[in-house]
Amino acid sequence: MSESHQTDVLVIGSGGAGLRTAIESYDKGASTTVVSNGRIGRCGATMMAGADITLDGKSASEIGLSGNEEDSKEKFFSDILIQGYYLNNQKLVDAYVRDAPARTKELIDWGMRYVWDGKRAVITQGTEINRVLVDQVRRRKIRILEDIYVTDLLTVGKTVVGAMGIDVNRGTLLVLRAKAVIIATGGWQNAYSFTSAPEGLYGDMHAAAFLTGADLVNVEMVTFCPNVILWPPAFRGDIFPYILVEMFGDLLDKHGRPFLNEYDPRIQKIAMTTEWNKLIFSLASARVISRGDGSPNGGVYYSVKTVPWNIVEEAQKAFPGWKYLRRNYTDLMNSLMRGNAIEVAPAAHYMEGGILVDEHAATTVDGLFAAGECSGGLFGANRVASAITQILVQGAIAGASAAEYAEKHCLQEPEEEQIREMEMRLTQPFERKTGIRPVEIKKKIRKTAAEHLWVIRSGRGLKQAIKDLQYMTRNDLPQVSVRTQSRTYNREWIDAIQLRSLLIILEASTRTALMRTETRGVHYRSDYPKTDNDHWLKEIIVGKVNGRMTMRTRPVIVTKIKPPRGRFGFEECILESQNAPLDILR
Amino acid sequence: MAERSITVRISRFNPAVDRSSYFQTYGVPLSPRMTVMDILNYIYEYLDPTIAYNAHTACHRRICARCNLNINGKAGLACQTEAKGDLTLAPLPHIKVVRDLVVEGI
Repeated sequence: MSESHQTDVLVIGSGGAGLRTAIESYDKGASTTVVSNGRIGRCGATMMAGADITLDGKSASEIGLSGNEEDSKEKFFSDILIQGYYLNNQKLVDAYVRDAPARTKELIDWGMRYVWDGKRAVITQGTEINRVLVDQVRRRKIRILEDIYVTDLLTVGKTVVGAMGIDVNRGTLLVLRAKAVIIATGGWQNAYSFTSAPEGLYGDMHAAAFLTGADLVNVEMVTFCPNVILWPPAFRGDIFPYILVEMFGDLLDKHGRPFLNEYDPRIQKIAMTTEWNKLIFSLASARVISRGDGSPNGGVYYSVKTVPWNIVEEAQKAFPGWKYLRRNYTDLMNSLMRGNAIEVAPAAHYMEGGILVDEHAATTVDGLFAAGECSGGLFGANRVASAITQILVQGAIAGASAAEYAEKHCLQEPEEEQIREMEMRLTQPFERKTGIRPVEIKKKIRKTAAEHLWVIRSGRGLKQAIKDLQYMTRNDLPQVSVRTQSRTYNREWIDAIQLRSLLIILEASTRTALMRTETRGVHYRSDYPKTDNDHWLKEIIVGKVNGRMTMRTRPVIVTKIKPPRGRFGFEECILESQNAPLDILR
Repeated sequence: MAERSITVRISRFNPAVDRSSYFQTYGVPLSPRMTVMDILNYIYEYLDPTIAYNAHTACHRRICARCNLNINGKAGLACQTEAKGDLTLAPLPHIKVVRDLVVEGI
């Protein structure tokens, strides 16, 4: 029998989006509970961020930052659209551009320290953002529930009335009743074994939202961060070389040959000097790896051998003592300086797509809201601007919307039968004495994602992936068996729960990737290498119709800028974009 | 890749059934530069899925500090400590144990 909690607004997730959401919801008068799968401020993707907050330069100077008087909100808006290949929901971009200055100033007023500010950016650290937001949460009477793994959303009719979760340390089930629920749980990076994200991002709430009838959007769009460390294991997933390569160094194939020079010199320059580098380096690296010229662990090499010593040493001005975030890179830098190369590869990094929301952070289901990376539409097909600004802006909007909704609605009694069904499903893996271990299925799922849903996609591969995922859903999932009988901190149990989520979100991601017969932003199709503005200025929406996953399209939502027509090649598209006034960078 | 096998002693304790903690021993093939977290993951995946260690929101980057353990008698992060030989792994001392290597409040 499950234990029960109740609140006006339930916030699922305790990264920056969840924390900012909770603050707003509480300040608007709603009793607010934050439920975290780990410890607040010490789990989720925010803590890993570099991190930059972006806003237009004019507003930046108006709030006391360096900024740029020549800049404007209109230019910033237009750049985000160009970078997003015009797939952005412009209503969401409007909100981002409009609220970014207020959200930035507020963080500074709350005591956020920052290391540097430029024309359009403030550079701080994800841990610092969490520190400030956790401090603000703790100053309010916001209830915090930690190490609770939320598994499902509760509904009455078609309205969300709470959530179901597991208390990880105690092994008990919890019913969390709420007038409104906000999802702020980040992406599904852990569908990939190689990622720059921490553990715990499995798209559980994307799947739960989908199952209640909420739509997903743009879930074929996945950003891979290039030049992420593959080896040694203590540094696996670390993005430091991604930052270094903006300053110096070369990416090499297994023959020690630089490969970026296979591209138009203008593309090379853009890759070296702007944050379009994620897109360009990832594709270039993936091409080298897939033609068999990669490193033993499946990556490419990063080297500073052609760079004079004193130039490399100069970078210590940015990273004194070769320290960055909480890490010391002295050994790594010494190894590079001795002339060795390190193995790097594109890592799953950011999901542009997610739960479909409107400009008020409302999903397509009553009582359910979403903020931050778990939502979709803001950045279209390619995020260059800041995911940190996204969590702040959308967090505040979602908190206000949910508090307002909670004020107008009563707490509803969840349906006993639904809870019983969930309890049964959650505890079934303990009942099966024989079956498949969760870790085996997770490996198979990740293999499928890595093979077919990586940087370069093809119709053939995607069709195979759909077959594989559907097979696992039908045959493997019903056989999941947990050997660990103690429910107290049972990792197998958590692994087992994540499988359904992964299979749902990856099937959605794969089917939309197959449906989008073009290349756009981070979605690169080897069989459709052109960006087709004549046919594909459309978002793909995934929903549940008569119990089945169904896809439909809708034309991009336009408020200010009409996207251009025509078909463009990958390089042509990037070059064309540079003619428009760019770039988000510094 | 495995060069040699090491002996890993892990402190086991389930408050629901055990009066006191005890050590269980595993043999793990050691690959170059493996971390203590990699060792625990290896044991979990291939030898004994019942071991409990804090991994469900691990950052692997020295940031979250939730994998803090007693490693050969010294406190250290499992994700940042390279395994160089035999290991004895215990929870941090003087904190209530949830199960095995997982403690409350960390």
